[in-house]
Amino acid sequence: MKLVNRITQHTIVVLALTWTGTAHAQVNLAGEWAGRYHEDQLDRVPGDVLGDHSGLPINDAARRYAEAWDVSRVSVLEHQCQPYNVAHIYRGPLQFRIWEDKDPGTQEVIAYQIFIGTYMQYRTIWMDGRPHPPEVAPHTHMGFSTGKWNGDILTVTTTHIKKEFYRRSGTPSSDLTTMIEYYMRHGNLLSQVIIVTDPVYLSEPLIESQEFVLMERGNQNWLYNCEYAMEVPKSKNEVPHFLPGENPFLKDFANKYGLPFEAVWGGAETTYPEYQSKVEAMMSK
Amino acid sequence: MRIAELQDCRIAGRIAGRIVPILVVGLAFALAFDRARFDVAAQQPPAAQTPPRTARTNAPIDLIGTWVSVVTEDWRHRMTTARKGDFESLPLNPEGRRVANTWDLNADNAAGLQCKAFGVGGIMRQPGRVRISWQDDNTLKMEFDAGTQTRLLYFDRSKQSTGEKTWQGHSVAEWEGPSVGRRGAPAQAQFEIGGGSGTGPRPPGGGGEGLRGGPPPSSAIFQGGSLKVVTTNFRDGYLRKNGVPYSENASITEYFHRLPTHPNGDVWLHVVTTVEDSKYLQQPFYTSTHFKLEPAGAKWNPTPCRTAPPPR
Amino acid sequence: MTIAMFKITRAVRRGTVGVWLALLASGFAARSGAEQTGEKGSPAPTAIRTFHVQGNVHLLYGGSANVAVQIGDDGVVVVDTGDGPMSDKVLAAIRQLSTKDIRWVINTHHHPDHTGGNQTISQAGRTVNGNPAAIIAHEHVLTRMTEANRPITERPLNSFFEDNKDFYFNGEAIFIHHIPRAHTDGDSFVYFRGSDVLVAGDIFVTTTYPVIDAKSGGGVQGFIDGLNKMLEIAVPKRLQEGGTYVIPGHGRVGDEADLLTYRDMMVFVRDRVQAFIKKGMTLEQVKAAKPTLDYDPRYGNEKGPWTTAMFVEAVFRDLSQKK
Repeated sequence: MKLVNRITQHTIVVLALTWTGTAHAQVNLAGEWAGRYHEDQLDRVPGDVLGDHSGLPINDAARRYAEAWDVSRVSVLEHQCQPYNVAHIYRGPLQFRIWEDKDPGTQEVIAYQIFIGTYMQYRTIWMDGRPHPPEVAPHTHMGFSTGKWNGDILTVTTTHIKKEFYRRSGTPSSDLTTMIEYYMRHGNLLSQVIIVTDPVYLSEPLIESQEFVLMERGNQNWLYNCEYAMEVPKSKNEVPHFLPGENPFLKDFANKYGLPFEAVWGGAETTYPEYQSKVEAMMSK
Repeated sequence: MRIAELQDCRIAGRIAGRIVPILVVGLAFALAFDRARFDVAAQQPPAAQTPPRTARTNAPIDLIGTWVSVVTEDWRHRMTTARKGDFESLPLNPEGRRVANTWDLNADNAAGLQCKAFGVGGIMRQPGRVRISWQDDNTLKMEFDAGTQTRLLYFDRSKQSTGEKTWQGHSVAEWEGPSVGRRGAPAQAQFEIGGGSGTGPRPPGGGGEGLRGGPPPSSAIFQGGSLKVVTTNFRDGYLRKNGVPYSENASITEYFHRLPTHPNGDVWLHVVTTVEDSKYLQQPFYTSTHFKLEPAGAKWNPTPCRTAPPPR
Repeated sequence: MTIAMFKITRAVRRGTVGVWLALLASGFAARSGAEQTGEKGSPAPTAIRTFHVQGNVHLLYGGSANVAVQIGDDGVVVVDTGDGPMSDKVLAAIRQLSTKDIRWVINTHHHPDHTGGNQTISQAGRTVNGNPAAIIAHEHVLTRMTEANRPITERPLNSFFEDNKDFYFNGEAIFIHHIPRAHTDGDSFVYFRGSDVLVAGDIFVTTTYPVIDAKSGGGVQGFIDGLNKMLEIAVPKRLQEGGTYVIPGHGRVGDEADLLTYRDMMVFVRDRVQAFIKKGMTLEQVKAAKPTLDYDPRYGNEKGPWTTAMFVEAVFRDLSQKK
C-alpha cells in the first residue's frame, strides 16, 4: 500500500514536471516578423506626395514646421544618415527580429532584444524593473524602453527619444516624445499599437497600429551602412527651408485626391466622427 | 519506480487503475492549456453550489461601454469616400479590381444597397461610435451609430444562424488568453507540487515547493485576454466605401482587445480584423481599428446608411 | 530614478521638475542680475546631481547652470562653477567624484549663473604652485567681470585673446574655442578630445531660445557660427547618434543631432526675420508673424526672464543693425 501511494505521488510529480504551467500569461514574441501595409501603404512604403497630415492630431507649431519643410534638407551633411525614430520606424517598411535575454539561473526574461532591419536599429525592452535614465541623459533614436506583461499583452514604455518625424511629409516629432506600445499575438499575427505623446507638436496622443506576420523564410534585411558625404556644396549657413507662405508643394496631397486642404492639414478634430459632415460640406462647395 | 520488483499482480492492477485515469486527466489538461482555455480555478476544490459559468462571468476583459473611433489611419478612405479605383493598401486580385472598378454609388442607392459599406467587413472602419453591452449572459451586443447597425456575438455555440444572409452575418465569439477564474479575480499564482497543503509558513528552502521557473505572474489588475469573433453567413459587402468588395464566402475573424489603461487615463479598444477572400484578395487583409472609451451616450448619434459621394 | 508617468498639460510640459528637464534661462542673469534656479512655477532645485557623460567627463546638474567636471590622475578641471549659493553643493559633488586637487577652472562666459561659484571652487583648488586653482576664459570675460566689479577671486586671470587655447590634462587634449558675438562677446566652448565631449556653455542649451545678450556683445550670427563650429568637431558614432556628446549650458546632454536641431532653428528664425525686415515690417509686425511658431512649444516662454518676444526682438534688432 505504501508502495502504491509512493508510485501515485511520483506519477503526479512526473506529470506536473511535464506541464509548463498555465498561470504565466506571457506569449512568445520571439521570431522574425514582416510588416503588412494594408493601411496607409503609400505613406509608409514608397511615400506619397507632400502635404499629407491627415489624421494626425498636430498643432499649429507642427503645421508651421511642416510648411517650412524642404525635402532638400536631407542633403545637408548632418541630416543625411538620420534614421526613423522608434515612434516612426514601425510604420515601415521593415522586418524585425525579436529574441529574449533570460537570466540563466531563473529563466526570467531580463529583456527583449529587437533588431529592426530598416536602418539597422537595435532596441532593448528591459523587463527587470530597472528605472529609466535621468532627464539629463542623452536621447537615442530607439529611446529607452521598459516593459511589463498585462496578461497576454506586453506593455512597453519608452522615453529619451530623439526628434524626428511622424510622416515623411515633414510632420515633426519632438525630443520630448514618449511612447506606450502594446504587443498582442494571435497565431502568426503580431499586432502592435503605439500611443505617442508629444507635448510640443501633438494636441492629443497619436495612436497608430501595425500588423506583422511571422516570417517562414528568415529575415531578408537590407544593410544600411550609411556614409555621409558632401555631394552638393553648401555653406553651413544655409539650411533648406521654405519661408512662411512660400512652400509650393503644400497642397499637392489635397489636390491629388480632391480633398479640402484644411481637412488634410491635420488636427485632433479631424480624427473624430463628427468631422465627416464638415469635410462633406467643404467638398460640396 | 522499480516495477520489475513487483511480484503481486493485484498490486500492479491497483497501480494501473490509478495511473491510467491520471494520465488521461493529465492529457486533457495539456490539451486545454494548448488552447489557452484551461481554467485554473477548476483546480480548486469545487465550491458548494456554484452558479453555472457564463460568458459574462468568464469575461477576462471588460468591453462594455461606448467607444468612439479615432481615425488616424486610412484617413481619406474612412473620413471621406475615395475615388473609384483608389485601391491604396489593398491586396486585391484582378477580379477584385475589376469588380471595384464597376462601383456605382447611384446605382447602389437606387437598388437599396446603401448599407453595403456598413456590413460586417466594413462597419468597423466607418467613423462612429460603437456601444457594447450584454444582451444576455452569453451574447454580446454591438450597436453602431454609423448606419444604425447591430451585431450580436454569440458565445453559446448552440445558437445557429437562421440561414438568411444579413449584412452583419452570424458571429460566434469566444474569450481567449489567460483565464482569471471568477471575473476580476487574479489567476492563481503558480502550480504547487510536492505535496503539502499549501497553507502555513514555508520551511527553509521551500521544502520542495515553489516556482518552476519563469517569471512571477503580473500583479496588475488587468490580466489580459481578448475576444475572438468569427463571422459567417453574411451578404456581399464593401471593405471600403468606394466599392472595394468582399464576397459572402470570405472568412472574417476579429480580435478585440481592451488595452491597459494609458497613463493619461484613456482606455482604448483595439480591433484587429482579418479578411480572407480568395475571390477578391491575393492574401489575407489585415486592418486594426482604435476606439476610445467615452462617457455613455454623450455623443451617440445614429444615422442611416449613407455614403458621401467621392470627389470629382 | 524612475521617469514618472504624467498627464501632459501645457503647465506640465513647461515646468514640472519631477519629469521634464529643468528649464533654466541663463539670459535671466544677463538682464536682471538675479539668478534663476528653475523653470517658472517650479520649485528651485536644491540638490546637485552627477551624471557620467563619457570618458573622464561628468555633468553636475540641478543648479543654476550645468557644470562639467573632468577627473583623472592629474587632478580636476571644472568648466563653469554655477552660482554662488549652490557652490558648496557643487564642490561637495565634485568631491564625490574625485578627491584630487582642482587644478583648473574654465569659464564659458561671464554670467553669474556660470561663474558665481568661481571663488569657492578656485579657493578649494590648488595649482601645482600651491595657489588657488587658475581660472581660464577669454579676455572679454575678464573685461566684463571687471566692469561688473566682481571680486578678484572670481575673475579669470588666466585669460587668452586668440581664437583658441589648448592644454593637456588627465591624458587628453583640452581645447578652448572662442566664439565671438554669440551669447556674449566672450563665449568659449570646451572640447575634451579623448573623452570626446563638448561643453558648449550657453551657445547651446536645450531649454530656451538662444539668449542673445546684446549689451554684452551677443548676436545671432555668432550663435550660428558657434554651433557650426561645434558641428564640425562633433562626430556621431553611428547614424547621427552618440559619438561626441555635448553638455549644454542648461538642459540635458546632447549629441550632434541635438546641435543640428538647434542650429537649424537659428538659421530658420534668422532667415525669416531677415525676410520680414526686407519687406519693411516693423518689430510688432514681425512678432505678429510668429517667426518662431514651430519651435515655441519647445523653447518658448511667455513669461520669465527670457521670453519668446524678447528673443524675436533681439534677433530683429541684431539683424536690423547696419553693419
